[in-house]
Amino acid sequence: MWPEHWIYTIPLRLRSLFRRREADQELDEELRYHVECKTEEHITRGMTLQEARRAAMLEIGGVEKRKEECRDTRHVNWIQDLLQDVRYALRMLRKSPGFTAVTVLTLALGIGANTAIFSLTYAVILKSLPVPNPDELVRYSFSESGVSDLSISGPAYDALRKHETVDQDILAWSGAHLTVRENGNVTDVRGALITGNGFRVLELVPYIGRTFGEQDDAPGGGPNGDQALLGFSYWKQHFDGRKTALGQALSINGRSVRVVGVLPPDFDGLIAPQQADIVLPLSFEEIINTPTPERHGPPGDNWLTVIGRLKPGESLESARANLQATEKIVREEADPSHRFMGGLQFHVESGGSGRSFLRADYSQPLLILEVLVGLLLLLCCANAALLMLARVTGRFREFAVRGALGASRGRLLRQMLTEVGILAACGLGLGIWLGWAAARSLVSMLGTIGEPPALDVTPQTPILAFAAGATLVSVIVAGLWPALRASRIDPALDLKRSEAVSSFSSNRLGTWIVPAQVALSITLLSSAVLLGGTFIHLLLEHSGFRPDGVTITTVDLSSVNPTPKQAGRDVRDIAKALKAAPGVEASTILSGLPIDGDWTASHYFSLGKHGAVHTDMQTWVEPASPAYFEVMGTRILEGRGFTRADQNGARVCVLSLSAAAYFFPNEDAVGRFVYSGGEDPQKDGQDLDPRNACRVVGVSEDARFLSFREAPPRVLYNLATGDDLGTQASFAVRSSSARLAAEAIRNAVRRQVPGVPDPEIFTFNELIENHLEKERMLMSLSVSFGCVALLLVALGLYGVLARSVTLRTKEIGLRLALGARPRDVVMQVIRRGLHLVIVGAIVGVPVALASMRLLKGLLFGINPDNPVAFAMVVLLVFVVVVGVSCIPAWRSTKVDPMVALRHE
Amino acid sequence: MSKPTDLVQGTLDLLLLKILALEPLNGFAISQRLKQVSGDILQVSDGSLYPALHKLEQEGWISAEWKATPNNRRAKFYSLTRLGRRHLEKEAENWGRLSTAISRVVKLKEA
Repeated sequence: MWPEHWIYTIPLRLRSLFRRREADQELDEELRYHVECKTEEHITRGMTLQEARRAAMLEIGGVEKRKEECRDTRHVNWIQDLLQDVRYALRMLRKSPGFTAVTVLTLALGIGANTAIFSLTYAVILKSLPVPNPDELVRYSFSESGVSDLSISGPAYDALRKHETVDQDILAWSGAHLTVRENGNVTDVRGALITGNGFRVLELVPYIGRTFGEQDDAPGGGPNGDQALLGFSYWKQHFDGRKTALGQALSINGRSVRVVGVLPPDFDGLIAPQQADIVLPLSFEEIINTPTPERHGPPGDNWLTVIGRLKPGESLESARANLQATEKIVREEADPSHRFMGGLQFHVESGGSGRSFLRADYSQPLLILEVLVGLLLLLCCANAALLMLARVTGRFREFAVRGALGASRGRLLRQMLTEVGILAACGLGLGIWLGWAAARSLVSMLGTIGEPPALDVTPQTPILAFAAGATLVSVIVAGLWPALRASRIDPALDLKRSEAVSSFSSNRLGTWIVPAQVALSITLLSSAVLLGGTFIHLLLEHSGFRPDGVTITTVDLSSVNPTPKQAGRDVRDIAKALKAAPGVEASTILSGLPIDGDWTASHYFSLGKHGAVHTDMQTWVEPASPAYFEVMGTRILEGRGFTRADQNGARVCVLSLSAAAYFFPNEDAVGRFVYSGGEDPQKDGQDLDPRNACRVVGVSEDARFLSFREAPPRVLYNLATGDDLGTQASFAVRSSSARLAAEAIRNAVRRQVPGVPDPEIFTFNELIENHLEKERMLMSLSVSFGCVALLLVALGLYGVLARSVTLRTKEIGLRLALGARPRDVVMQVIRRGLHLVIVGAIVGVPVALASMRLLKGLLFGINPDNPVAFAMVVLLVFVVVVGVSCIPAWRSTKVDPMVALRHE
Repeated sequence: MSKPTDLVQGTLDLLLLKILALEPLNGFAISQRLKQVSGDILQVSDGSLYPALHKLEQEGWISAEWKATPNNRRAKFYSLTRLGRRHLEKEAENWGRLSTAISRVVKLKEA
């Protein structure tokens, strides 16, 4: 039965699908023939031609309707209908480009904003490491007085590994700056070090080649010499992705290292956003820096990221309990002298997403923004719904006629949904693209110095699914009601009804949506003002430096493997060369980058006039060349700075203002002595050794070495000799031209220490910008979203007011005809707009006040309750609203009373 | 007069198929013939005739051809297919059983 059945029906259905017009013509002809025959029959019965015709038509009951019913019997109808709907929808949308553009843009803005924020959140917070079962991983870290997520020391790692029982094994990882020499070129490469058991713990499978194991993680290389794995993108770039890379030897920090494998493509390392281009065993550290007696560094040096994989059956809670139980013995072994781990606390948390320097900073603000942007999407949908509803009511005549011609309610509904669907699909596509572009530009803002962070924000499946889901919700919210409204049009009723009445409902919706949009805009704009104000305050904050005209550089001497004495000589040589270089006004040695956050506390004490001893365990020591104060711009308030003569005499120092106030509270600090303390602070003041003393020759203003937000530390400046700086030497140069300064630095380095890679050079202002990148990004985000919200308010309000004017054209015309002044008509429109905004503001300001409290932790120099900020925002919204209201208001004065009165 | 629209759709199909089993006809002629052979009792309304014919065509039980009428006009003539003939036999059998059963019930002697 089946095959025969299909032989008959398939050609028929194909015909219905492809040769539709022919089939329709035939149908028409068939029915026409029937009507003619019927007419003839009636004529033979005695009716006139006209009567006969009419009777025949009545009997068939509506030719078009019958044709539609016949067409309905064809089973391929739904495909045809869909295509027809799509064609028709496209035609209608093309006819009103303004509406189409605005609606698609509205949806795209909402979806784009959400996609951008969600991409960022995913990349920064949610993304797991590309290893099997990342939820089995845990990470151990230190925390100290409120600062969490600190690295662990080598001895602590060893002790932890020996005593904890919940993990199969734990690995240690650290980022590293490597110097690679290739064909005479020396380049700085970002690398990482990992313990020999690391790849086994991660269960990471290399892309090609193999990983190295525990026997390769030994001082001096393993039995097979030094081995390394390459990062995937590095391998693609430097070895063209060829398998011949395996077995090749690279010269890294002076050692010949063999490439044994390549890491998988999505593995960038364990610390986001740092990218590890070359991975070496942890023992390689002693080649990068100097070897230490302890295997993994001294107890005071916290440099390791430690991750473990739990045994089956263990959980984070059992890991925490185990840590508590073993903590005592781990501390004993890791820090027998109790000098280093006193203020530190152990933590263990889930390690599935590795470690991220960004997470701690950005988690909270990103989540807050997600909520706000989610609300924004809701309002975008509402706006789109308003637009579509207005459009439906504008076309109700069309729908009524179509209904009369035989279109079923379902068909009308389907057609409206097709239009909505097309708009939503365009909005989705545009939104995803916008969101991706926005996320990428935001990420690029995160790296002004050095490499941009390796944050992959290309839309992943969860992001695309999220965007698609958001679009679906938007379609339902925005399109369903207008579509239903369109299908409910009763031809008989609506063809006669005047437009005014049927449009009423769309405007009623508008009067709810616009105030809501105003409230949300006020919230977003307030956050923009607060975050922007924070950024500006931080920028203007007196830092104690004069950054303009200062160029800073860090030179990595490790590739020439100098002894400490040689290193000191190299540093002094570079400093001398810099001073003499053209264009350089002054230069100084730096012990580290200012405002970097990295510091070591030193122990100093003073002896007051009356024998009072003031001890400070947290003194910041800053070695400085004689020109330091001139270069950095820190002012000397009392006494003097350093001179060349000081280099040959007794030890002298300059104290910062807060240090001077601390050590010598009620007296003049200049001329007095401070002493560097020994191991026991209790012994300060006894057995004064003149070798530990230095004479205070001046007091400088406070400088913010730590960060712009925190109080400046107590600083003791002493004369820099260039020794004891390690292999990373920093210099600062003041000059009128940054270009000249950079040239001077490069020349000095090339001439004095050839064989060293070109140093990183940046201006002091760039360093500050880098420090404030988080505030800058948050400010950009909130300002953008605030502007988008305000734009939506403008669009929504314009729509509502314009509709209102159109609806009331008759009324306005009447009033004008009766002698009302144009001014009154204008005021009426503007008053309507203001009324909506006032309602929105009444709701919005308390909401904004409440939510700004959430931002408290991010602000600086600005109070979340700041009335000026809110006043500014509300004023801005009012200005925009009045501006937008003027257009329909002006249009209302152009109403010609005669035309209006006849307008139906 | 009971109109076929009062009956189940399947019954209308049965009638149309049987008419076409006698000879190929166009739509108008089918309704005339049905009226004729049923003695004016069964009349198909014009509104239900053509949708029913098109449905039968979609199912493959009848096929269509454009031919010239005796009056030299063009009309769409339907004829029964082999598939349709088999379907007709089956439906006729079903109808026979159904009508016998109904008659039996109706003829029951009331107490």
